[in-house]
Amino acid sequence: MAITETEAFTAVQEAVVGALGVDDDEATPDATLMDELGAESIDLLDILFRIERSTGIKIQATDLSTYIQGGISDEEFSDDNEIISERGLEQLKKVMPQIDADTLRGNLEADHVISLFTVQNLADMVVQRADGA
Amino acid sequence: MKLSGRIALVTGGSRGIGRAVCEVLAAEGAAVAVNYRASKSGADEVVEAITAAGGKAVAVAGDVAEYAQAEAMVAETIEQLGGLHMLVNNAGISKDALIYNMDPEDWLAVMRINFGGVFNCTKASLGHFMSQRDGAIVNVSSMMGDRGWTGESNYAASKGAINAFTRCAAVELARFGVRVNAVLPGFAPTELVAGLLEKDGGKGILKQIPLKTFASVEEVAHVVAFLAGPDSSYMTGSLVTVDGGVGSMLGVGAPL
Repeated sequence: MAITETEAFTAVQEAVVGALGVDDDEATPDATLMDELGAESIDLLDILFRIERSTGIKIQATDLSTYIQGGISDEEFSDDNEIISERGLEQLKKVMPQIDADTLRGNLEADHVISLFTVQNLADMVVQRADGA
Repeated sequence: MKLSGRIALVTGGSRGIGRAVCEVLAAEGAAVAVNYRASKSGADEVVEAITAAGGKAVAVAGDVAEYAQAEAMVAETIEQLGGLHMLVNNAGISKDALIYNMDPEDWLAVMRINFGGVFNCTKASLGHFMSQRDGAIVNVSSMMGDRGWTGESNYAASKGAINAFTRCAAVELARFGVRVNAVLPGFAPTELVAGLLEKDGGKGILKQIPLKTFASVEEVAHVVAFLAGPDSSYMTGSLVTVDGGVGSMLGVGAPL
């Protein structure tokens, strides 16, 4: 079930616009879903079900953190104070290439990572899922 | 027929209000999964009656109080009938007793089936309803959920829980294209309420019902079918009374 990057972005953008009631020009590739677009957990669920309907690609809300963490254990991903480790930052650069690791080094809390997830990051995840399926 | 091409799962469909709901939905063109826990022969009879009338139905076993069984019922319905659009959470029991005498296990047993069944079957159906952005859930509650009655504290509490859950579920699920409503029957003479009607054939109760008759199970079922069907498309979170006017009274006043 292949999907092009353009198709994936369009599907995600339409889902975000539909679920959050924002305009196309707000749901840009760089917009963060939680922080900038204000998505809450029920919105995220809505977005994921809309993506499933339009693309047939099923993503659970819990898959997001698994995808972001990339199979690294909690202990390696962040330190005892729940601050993302160097290994964690390396992983984040793979799935969220827009982040500035130097600015975030030593002060990015694990709980805060999801708030940096953008429309484009979700579209990339859809492509990855489609390739894996 | 308003429900042609639609598929329903009715819990506790082998008798009483549930059976009438199965038959009314089928008469409107829906394919119906008739759930039963203990009464296989009853469910088979309902399936036969629907099939004989030209409809489509299957019997589906399962205890709504167990989440895994609720999931299995939903999966079996989708597999056997090819989909699911309507869920009628009807299964219920009563274990009437004065609170002073009630076994603590008896409130939990009633709660697990009456409210737990609504929760389990709703949750089990949601993934399917939400991904197709289309689903109607109708919970069979009771006027007892809104009013008090001696000896029915556990039953009434379970129905009150269903009413609260109906409102919350309606609010949460509206954006996913899923409607959730409830019917609140007053007095319908089924096995469930046989105890209430024992004393004088129910005459004492009948005198307190403005419409002066008990509800037939079909009268309740028609409201369920309305809430499950397209004519109620703008209704969600509604608790619809089917009570002959009982709930509207301040008191009996002058003998009716």
